[in-house]
Amino acid sequence: MIEAARVSKQFHEIEALHDVSLSVHKGSIYGLVGSNGAGKTTLLKLLAGIYQPDSGQLMIDSESVFENNAIKARTAFIPDNLYFFPNYTIQDMANFYGLIYPKWNKERYLKLQDVFNIDVKRRVKTLSKGMQRQYALWMGLAMMPDVMILDEPIDGLDPVMRHKVKNLIIQDVADRDMTAIISSHNLRDLEDICDYIGILHQGKMLIQKDLDDLKADVHKIQVAFAGEIPPTLLQDIQALHQEQRGSVLILIVRGAHNEIIRRMQSYHPAILDILPLTLEEIFIHEMGDNGYEIKNVLY
Amino acid sequence: MFELDLRSRAPIYEQLVDKIKELIINNVLKPDEQLPTVRVLASELTINPNTIQKAYRELEYRGYVYSVPGKGNFVRATVPDNNAARLQTLEREVLKNVSEMLYLGMSPHDITTLIQRSLSEDKGGKVHD
Repeated sequence: MIEAARVSKQFHEIEALHDVSLSVHKGSIYGLVGSNGAGKTTLLKLLAGIYQPDSGQLMIDSESVFENNAIKARTAFIPDNLYFFPNYTIQDMANFYGLIYPKWNKERYLKLQDVFNIDVKRRVKTLSKGMQRQYALWMGLAMMPDVMILDEPIDGLDPVMRHKVKNLIIQDVADRDMTAIISSHNLRDLEDICDYIGILHQGKMLIQKDLDDLKADVHKIQVAFAGEIPPTLLQDIQALHQEQRGSVLILIVRGAHNEIIRRMQSYHPAILDILPLTLEEIFIHEMGDNGYEIKNVLY
Repeated sequence: MFELDLRSRAPIYEQLVDKIKELIINNVLKPDEQLPTVRVLASELTINPNTIQKAYRELEYRGYVYSVPGKGNFVRATVPDNNAARLQTLEREVLKNVSEMLYLGMSPHDITTLIQRSLSEDKGGKVHD
């Protein structure tokens, strides 16, 4: 169980996080998404025990994480900016991690070499950016962590590698009940593997919810009428967003699926389609509600 | 065992429920047959194990599956009877299809014949012997 309770963090005048709470159950995969500069990396670094919060608490299994070696020994943190010793080869780094992490699994390390297929005699510095990310995940998985904190782990990997990495994380969650927190801008990928989603914007947590509940809660409706659009419809439905394309009305509506169908049917539409929203659409609409809209720029 | 459409808008757990239901209704998964374990299915489909767990719980709730603690999930032999919501959706789909058929010029008589034929051919998945 990972918990952050009312955490705030300030860097000089910039308030990176304001009163953010989150909790992640054991064996869950939590997807952290947000606008650029929302505070995702700060939150992950706090959870990894690298930063100290100005106020609030960060706990893993009811223990405070900051400077807590016992917790860090079973946490793998992969930051967006990787660090490795100059001139160390992959094998050198593996030997080093083997000394530090008590649960280091050499067998796993060797086995994963087949997956990543990178020569262990290569210096980490000489690897490409994508390969360095792979190397970091490789080391992280060989640590047999109980908790993995991953800052944009799949962004920048090729499609085959992305699939492999997602699969490896899923396997550890299914086999060992590992817990993972993943930040990404790749909402399509998060949608497949996460069961819980938190949306961060300007240092505040906008929503966090079970992904399926989030999707069951908001719907996209395409509706068309044989005649005029009934004037009472728009007041009755209270759409989050509406758009008219020719004779078709597109509405984003909050509420239960059956209830929406029932209400819409009472206006006798000629066409009625209800579509679940993708995570990307949910993200865009929630952001729009908070003044972070897509504006088409025309020159 | 099966593939999911990851590009589809439908939530993954809903897709899973529908797929497994379809396999049960069409007798591909036989009564008392064990469903794949959550662990196996998760790594096979690269999908969150909690999502699969949730789909299995939903199938159990709807009466398609029963679980044996420590053993896994198995296909239930009898057809569940609480289907009001699903039947409503299916009814709407039939109405939608019928109105499209009429629009495309199929005669009411042909539609009736079609429905009667499908009724006499399909025993509604109730006869499994």
